[in-house]
Parts: sequence; C-alpha cells; structure tokens
Amino acid sequence: MTEANRQTLLASLPTSFDLGPDWLQALRTQAAAALREQGLPTKRTEAWRFTPVRSLVDSEFSRDGDDVPTLLSALPEGVTVRGLAEVLRSQPELLHGRLDFGGPPAHFAALNTALFRDGLWIDVPAGSAVETPIEISHVSPSTSTPGVAYPRVLITAGENAELTLIETYAGGSAGQLSNSVVEVELGRNATMKHVRVHENAGLQIGRVDVRQDADSSYRSTVVTLGGALLRYDVRCLLQGKGAECQLDGAYLTDGDDHVDHHTLVEHQAPHCISGQTYRGIVSGKSTAVFDGVVIVHRDAQKTEAHQENRNLLLSDTATIHTKPHLEIDADDVICSHGATVGALDQDQLFYLRARGVPEDFALAMLTYAFVESIVDRVSHEPTRARMREALISRIPHGDEIREVT
Amino acid sequence: MLKIEDLHVEVDGKPILKGINLEIEAGQVHAIMGPNGSGKSTLAYVLAGREGYEVTKGSVLYKGQDLLEMAPETRAAEGVFLGFQYPVAIPGVSNIYFLKAALNAIRKHRGEDPLDAIDFMKLSKKKAALVQLPDELTKRSVNDGFSGGEKKRNEIYQMAMLEPSLAVLDETDSGLDIDALKVVARGVNGLRGPDRAMLVITHYQRLLDYIVPDVVHVLINGQIVRTGDKDLAKQLEREGYSEVRSASQP
Ligand SMILES: Nc1ncnc2c1ncn2[C@@H]1O[C@H](COP(=O)(O)OP(=O)(O)O)[C@@H](O)[C@H]1O
Ligand SMILES: [Mg+2]
Repeated sequence: MTEANRQTLLASLPTSFDLGPDWLQALRTQAAAALREQGLPTKRTEAWRFTPVRSLVDSEFSRDGDDVPTLLSALPEGVTVRGLAEVLRSQPELLHGRLDFGGPPAHFAALNTALFRDGLWIDVPAGSAVETPIEISHVSPSTSTPGVAYPRVLITAGENAELTLIETYAGGSAGQLSNSVVEVELGRNATMKHVRVHENAGLQIGRVDVRQDADSSYRSTVVTLGGALLRYDVRCLLQGKGAECQLDGAYLTDGDDHVDHHTLVEHQAPHCISGQTYRGIVSGKSTAVFDGVVIVHRDAQKTEAHQENRNLLLSDTATIHTKPHLEIDADDVICSHGATVGALDQDQLFYLRARGVPEDFALAMLTYAFVESIVDRVSHEPTRARMREALISRIPHGDEIREVT
Repeated sequence: MLKIEDLHVEVDGKPILKGINLEIEAGQVHAIMGPNGSGKSTLAYVLAGREGYEVTKGSVLYKGQDLLEMAPETRAAEGVFLGFQYPVAIPGVSNIYFLKAALNAIRKHRGEDPLDAIDFMKLSKKKAALVQLPDELTKRSVNDGFSGGEKKRNEIYQMAMLEPSLAVLDETDSGLDIDALKVVARGVNGLRGPDRAMLVITHYQRLLDYIVPDVVHVLINGQIVRTGDKDLAKQLEREGYSEVRSASQP
C-alpha cells in the first residue's frame, strides 16, 4: 500500500459496523463510540501516566500486516484452533459473551475490539489435559512504513482442562505497532500455564484478560526483552471459590527502551490465592514501569494475595517507577506487597572477585541471578532453556555465563 | 611470601590500622589474635583488595610484587585466598558453577588449561568430602540458607578447591562447635605445605590447638603489640588482652 493509506489510529475507526453478528457489531460500535468520546490516553490518564503514547496517538499507520498469530507447534491432541473470522461467519453463537467478557474495553483494547479482522480461538474442552505446549507467535513486519496490527486470541479451557500456551511477540522495526488482546476463560478446576515472550523491537501494546472459575489455576510468566515502547496489561478475575493465579515477569531494558507492566488481580470470590513476582534489570537510558493492583472484594474472605516487584538499576540514567498496591474490602485476608529498586550488591561482587572471578563475569553472574529465578518457574524444560538463553544473550558478558550454567 | 611494612589504613577517614609490620615465610602459619574492633578483618580485607579501605602509608609485597596494586581477582589468581568472617549469601548463583568459573580463571592466569566438567566434579567431590560438606550444598546457591557452620565449611571447601599459596582465614572458627572446628582444622592442615603460607585470624586460642601456628601476633587498636610463639596464645587465654598489652609497654 502507499502512504495515502496511512491514518492515525482514531481516524481509522469506521463510522459504522455492518459485518458479523449483531452482538459483535454492538461491541464494536460501543468501543468506537467510547474512543471517539474519550480519545486515546494522555499523560493525564492515571493508568497511562508513565506510558509515553503521545507519538502513537499522532502517528499514521497502514494496516498491511497480518493480525492473526501463527500457530508454530503441531496441534496437540485434544485442542481445536479455529480462525475467529471463520467462527464469526459460521457459528457466531459460540463466541457470544466471550469477547470482551470483562466489560466494555477502553483505549487501546477498545481499538482492538473495533478493528480486529481475524484472530485465533484455541479451545481445550472439558477433561482434556494437554501436556504439549501450544505455541503461537505474532511477528510484526520489518518494513519501514509504520503499520499497525490487532492480534486477537481467545483461549477457552473447559472443566478440568489443562494447557500450556507459549506466545511470542517478535520482529518489528521501529514504527510497527502491535496492539493485541488475549482473552482467557478457565472453567472449574482448569489449569493454564502461559508463557509470553516480548522480543519486539517496535511498539507493543498488549492486554491479557483472564477469568477464572472455581479451583482453576492460571500461571503466567512474561519475559520482556526490551522494546521501544511496550505496554503490557494482565488482568485476572478470580470469580470462582478457590481459584489461584500466579503472575511472574522478568524485564530487561536498555538504551531508550520504555517497558511498562501492569497487573490487576481481582479477588471476587473467597478462598482464592494470587501471587505476583516481577523483576527487572534496567540499564542505559531506559524506563521501566511496574504498576500492580490487587483488589479484594468484600465477599472474598480467606483471600491470600502477595505482590512483589524488585528492580536492579544498572545505570544512573535509567528510570524506574514501581507501584504495587492493594485495595482490600474484606477483613479475613493475608496480603503482602513490596517493591525495591537497588544496585548490585557490592559484598556479593567482592566475594566472587576475591575468589578469582573477573569483575565483568561476576557482574554478569549477579545480573543473571537476579532474573533467573523467574524463568526457573517455567515448568516446560525446552521453553525454560529457551528463555534462559534469551536472557543470557541480553546480559553483558552473558556468553561466559553460558559456559558455567 | 608476604611482607607488610608500616601499613596504615583508614576507613571513612578514620585510622584503623596504624603501622602494621608483618612478614610471613613460605611454609609458615601465623596467627593474629586480638579483641573485637582491633582491625583484624580490616587487615584481611586490605590483603584481599576490598574497596573502601584507604592505604595511607606503607606497603604490602606478595611474592615480591606490590599486592595493593592488584585487582581482587588478580590477587586470587596469584594465589591469595580470603576466608570471610561473614560469608555473604548469593541467591541464584550456584556454588559449584561460580567456583568453576573462579578456578578456571585462576588456571588461565597461570597458563593452564581449564578443567573440564568431569575432572572438576571429581575434584569437587574429593574436596567436599575433606570438609564433610554435603554434595548437595556444593550445588546450592552460594551460602544461601546455609547454617553458620556450613558457611565456614564452604569457605574451607572453596579454599581446598582453589589451593591458594597464601590463605587468610578470618575467624573461620567463630560459631563452630568442637567437631566442626576439627573438620575445618583438618581442611586447613591438609593444605599446609612448604610452598604455602597462612594467616589465621582468631578471637580464641581454641582453634590454635588444632591449627598450630609458628608465630602468634597480638593486634590491639590497629597495632601489633606482641609477637611470640604458640605459647603467647595460651598466655592470652589465661591473662587476657589487657595484661598482654600492659606487659608490652616498655
Ligand atoms: N566498613 C566500615 N565502615 C566503618 N567502620 C568500619 C568498617 N569496617 C571496620 N570498621 C571499624 O574499624 C574497626 C576495626 O574493625 P574490624 O577490622 O572489623 O575489627 P575486628 O575484625 O578485629 O573485630 C572497628 O572500629 C570498626 O567499627
Ligand atoms: Mg573481624
């Protein structure tokens, strides 16, 4: 396409929606109306205070890229993967009430709702325990014309179902924007392990929405390897008694990166457990943001919620904003939260050097050790190995670590 | 092996060591005893090259070279080992991998080939057995969740792996029961030899029953006030530091 096809994000919203089932048209119309009314976020929008989206709002993008993530793995038995567009044509009732289950979306998520053309629906039916990970990836094009894609993925796991999803968001030259929405619906006692890797050099805005029925378990490990502008929001709605979620993340930033992780866990039912552990290594002139919220509703007694964000600040010119917080309306709960920003421990560094480890190597060991524990929680060994490798390759003098680990 | 002359050291502008003279020959074991705060650990850290210790006067020669000019890792590569009074825990860094990195860096410095994984593991098993450090602990994160005694045994295990020429052991005995003390002493004695020297820092005479020193120094308030043979340690035990100090006054 040519320059003439480029539009700002808001200008690309159509005036009316007349394709697909009525309920989808209604969702899209509502999302577009909200966007027209509120616009995209600015520095004055509380949840976007630290995310410099101004340039995104003003830029013009083409829509040449493919929205649909690619399925990389052979499809394990017990899983169906269908194109969203195809299902919306042939059996739209199957998706009714499943898209935007979390309520009307705002801002970039609303853009996705209004504008996604296609996507993936991954369904693991009740009772189906799938051991082999399902691997999908979205690769932004590396053309110089700025482009936008709206990947959309719906995961449904029935009662007692189990799956592992590995998602990679990759590629992308400077002006490419991927604005994705992933929705996850976990039935009673369903289990999902979700590994998500961001290695996109361009612009990424991603949202993951999870709703969990009783006794379900959602474990997410996010690894973010830089990014010119990355904003990742994950929200877990613990709706059924005894559900649990664990949100872990590691981010490495350098240069002029801006990397922004937001979590929101809502304890809506009693006896649920949530944990969050995010760790970042922040270098160069980069900025990292962690904003984590846990909301415990009044009826969610016997809640246990923990939240921790630790950062290693490796340069004077880098910036970290960290804000873990809890809003608790129930009284019988166990909650904790904490955040730290610090430099490498000089006593540890001296210990290693005094035993003969050269300084650079010792620094690399300590840096790697800081985030390795996050990746260690990935239970699928090949994936864990790949993520370790990704971290090592980003750490100064990482090559030497490779030889001793 | 080691020659310290008129060494003055300040920390945060405060004089801590006030003119230390000490010479250790190859094959010797020297002990330094002294009350808390007298500057024993400061001396150990200065020898190992820790930052924050400013040498305002004096010199330290190690095998004829200026030790104070060397980076900590170069000192280690040249054969200097410090057993820490308070070994730091390093979560996420495996004991054995870090030690392999250290040993191979030292070997490289000496122009030797790196040990391969199999030879390294063999060596590790042997040395861990020497100080009765469970194999499992050698693989854990450095000192992470180790008891006080396990940390000290880990120090001696590492020393045995690295086979230094000059070992400075800073209160390796503190916090050990008598059995653990014997184990540590066995590790240290196993390393004694004509080409090695040791500087054993201790607060109590007890350790010196098991690691018998050739020379004993008494360090008080940043100065060596007495030097003698192993009987000096016994005398200290009986009479206390104040007696020894006043006896040293002319
Ligand atoms: N890092 C430091 N900062 C400030 N003072 C220190 C530091 N290290 C040691 N000192 C001071 O130096 C003196 C000697 O301490 P140290 O060498 O640890 O003695 P010892 O090992 O004999 O107990 C003490 O007065 C102590 O308070
Ligand atoms: Mg001391």
